[in-house]
Amino acid sequence: MDQNNSLPPYAQGLASPQGAMTPGIPIFSPMMPYGTGLTPQPIQNTNSLSLLEEQQRQQQQQQAQQQQQQQAQQQQQQQAQQQAVAAVQQSTSQQATQGASGQTPQLFHSQTLTTAPLPGTTPLYPSPMTPMTPITPATPASESSGIVPQLQNIVSTVNLGCKLDLKTIALRARNAEYNPKRFAAVIMRIREPRTTALIFSSGKMVCTGAKSEEQSRLAARKYARVVQKLGFPAKFLDFKIQNMVGSCDVKFPIRLEGLVLTHQQFSSYEPELFPGLIYRMIKPRIVLLIFVSGKVVLTGAKVRAEIYEAFENIYPILKGFRKTT
Amino acid sequence: MPGGGRCPDCGSTELVEDSHYSQSQLVCSDCGCVVTEGVLTTTFSDEGNLREVTYSRSTGENEQVSRSQQRGLRRVRDLCRVLQLPATFEDTAVAYYQQAHRHAGIRAARLQKKEVLVGCCVLVTCRQHNWPLTMGTVCTLLYADLDVFAGTYMQIVKLLGLDVPSLCLADLVKTYCSSFKLFQASPSVPAKYVEDKEKLLSRTLQLVELADETWLVTGRHPLPVITAATFLAWQSLQPSARLTCSLARFCKLADVDLPCPLAWLQVLGLDRRSVVKHIGDLLQHRRTLVRKAFRDGTAEQEAGEKELQGRGQGPGQGNEEVAASSSLRLPEGKRPASPALLLPPCMLKPPKRICPPPPISTVTGDEDISDSEIEQYLRTPQEVRDFQKAQAATGLSNPP
Repeated sequence: MDQNNSLPPYAQGLASPQGAMTPGIPIFSPMMPYGTGLTPQPIQNTNSLSLLEEQQRQQQQQQAQQQQQQQAQQQQQQQAQQQAVAAVQQSTSQQATQGASGQTPQLFHSQTLTTAPLPGTTPLYPSPMTPMTPITPATPASESSGIVPQLQNIVSTVNLGCKLDLKTIALRARNAEYNPKRFAAVIMRIREPRTTALIFSSGKMVCTGAKSEEQSRLAARKYARVVQKLGFPAKFLDFKIQNMVGSCDVKFPIRLEGLVLTHQQFSSYEPELFPGLIYRMIKPRIVLLIFVSGKVVLTGAKVRAEIYEAFENIYPILKGFRKTT
Repeated sequence: MPGGGRCPDCGSTELVEDSHYSQSQLVCSDCGCVVTEGVLTTTFSDEGNLREVTYSRSTGENEQVSRSQQRGLRRVRDLCRVLQLPATFEDTAVAYYQQAHRHAGIRAARLQKKEVLVGCCVLVTCRQHNWPLTMGTVCTLLYADLDVFAGTYMQIVKLLGLDVPSLCLADLVKTYCSSFKLFQASPSVPAKYVEDKEKLLSRTLQLVELADETWLVTGRHPLPVITAATFLAWQSLQPSARLTCSLARFCKLADVDLPCPLAWLQVLGLDRRSVVKHIGDLLQHRRTLVRKAFRDGTAEQEAGEKELQGRGQGPGQGNEEVAASSSLRLPEGKRPASPALLLPPCMLKPPKRICPPPPISTVTGDEDISDSEIEQYLRTPQEVRDFQKAQAATGLSNPP
């Protein structure tokens, strides 16, 4: 391997990782993957996003319809109200199918960002694909996994644009804690959306704990409003999502030893240190934590599509390590 | 000498540049009168070439091996000798250490990290030669924290772009089992506990291989699994005499650290006695049994999945007895009543807390924020006064 070229000549012949990779005794021979190729073949970015948006829109509609049915059946007393609500929901979902824009702000967002997080990971609706743009799949027989990762945490930053006196903030706000000996920022929490913010004296703020991009933005605005009410000329400049964390479950056990052997250049698996395998995907640049139970954690994304794309890339690889002889 | 300069005293033109110590002066060579004198002090820019340079900015560190690097290389050789590694390993480890030292981040690291780096280089060398050295051993020898070791190890593997193969289980079993003090009678080891090394080794190897196939090794620290396998193998070789010996006692008399209690060993305790007696037969027929278990397991799993799909349950229901006992099923074919699925134990345990799916939120991020909502987070003036009084009373105010 190339890494050993810088070793002195007497060490080169001895440090032979190629030979060292195969175990001495063939008892622990790895399972070979089912020919899906070594490097994850990503589906093109825009296509996968449209695919998933379509999937989510369908699920949203079906969810909305389900909710309508439940409400109509269960609560007879408030039937009039329920029907009104159902009518509103029906109209918005109809607008979604027709692709009309501008009438509800909700719809505008769902065209650019996927607004609603999807419920759970159990694939209740197998996805009948009616894609809006032609798809060029990487491998001809590949299909969408039907599992959508759920977002668990969003980290964002914003600049309030003015210097802050942290002592005053800690004194006059109920939800703030400030211990300068431990950390040089005020830690503030709000209940809705349930988030935590670190507010620094320079006026910069970090907001963590939200479950979606919009919630993170709303929470950051609420913190800025609190700081404003405390008497500082706070603004809302350069809001940026820095990190997104998602998780999902493929529902079958994974042979981590096999995966680290075939994808050695991307994987790091040290059971003495951590029970999961750390997979550093190059495109998109996402880090995945893969566990033997089939649970996968994806982190390092700046946009939601990167998480979805990374999962679609890893799913065929994981499927290859599913069956054991 | 210089044109146009005249001594104010005698009027001669013979002016000489002469310094009085560090002060430059223009002196008349006839009468000795000082015509002009320079400043005593020099400016920062004047001193540009005369200032002291720090070691890190000089070329010294490129030309010679620094003292800390020399110390580190000595430590690497010492560690290799303590571990009784072959001589070739020493050279490889030294080369890795030198390679690491070429990176500025390592050169400027704390001494604690450089100490741990010694262990990392030795560990990488051993792994590449399939020499079974565990991180725990290295940390014990270096008196280092496993967390610090882990961080440095991951960093150095990434920095040097090393290809480090996984720990070889078979070799680890051999070396670890050989360290058990069970092969000779002694005051602490009664005669009936003494065991033949080869027999114990081969049986332990088979048990560990079986555990690997049935999902008991993936994701876990290998050493506790090997300890438990050795214990079972040792017991099964003379069940009548040894069934009464507990795992803790076994570890003490074998002079080995007791690993954290394994969940699967505790579960196995349910029918441990019967299993131990049959381990010999089970290992003989293990390949057939495992294949059968997997085949039946997947068939039952698929059937169960189809049944339960309507109810939306996942395939995680198994009996409480874990894969270990199901794979070590008695050869007479006595099956547990419900289908036993061969899955990692973490998948068979009921989840600790069921995470409800989050409600679909219709937040846009641009909604209006009501004043009352923000007011709830602000203290009233009375509260502020009370808080300040309380702080003053307890003297616990935070200085800025």
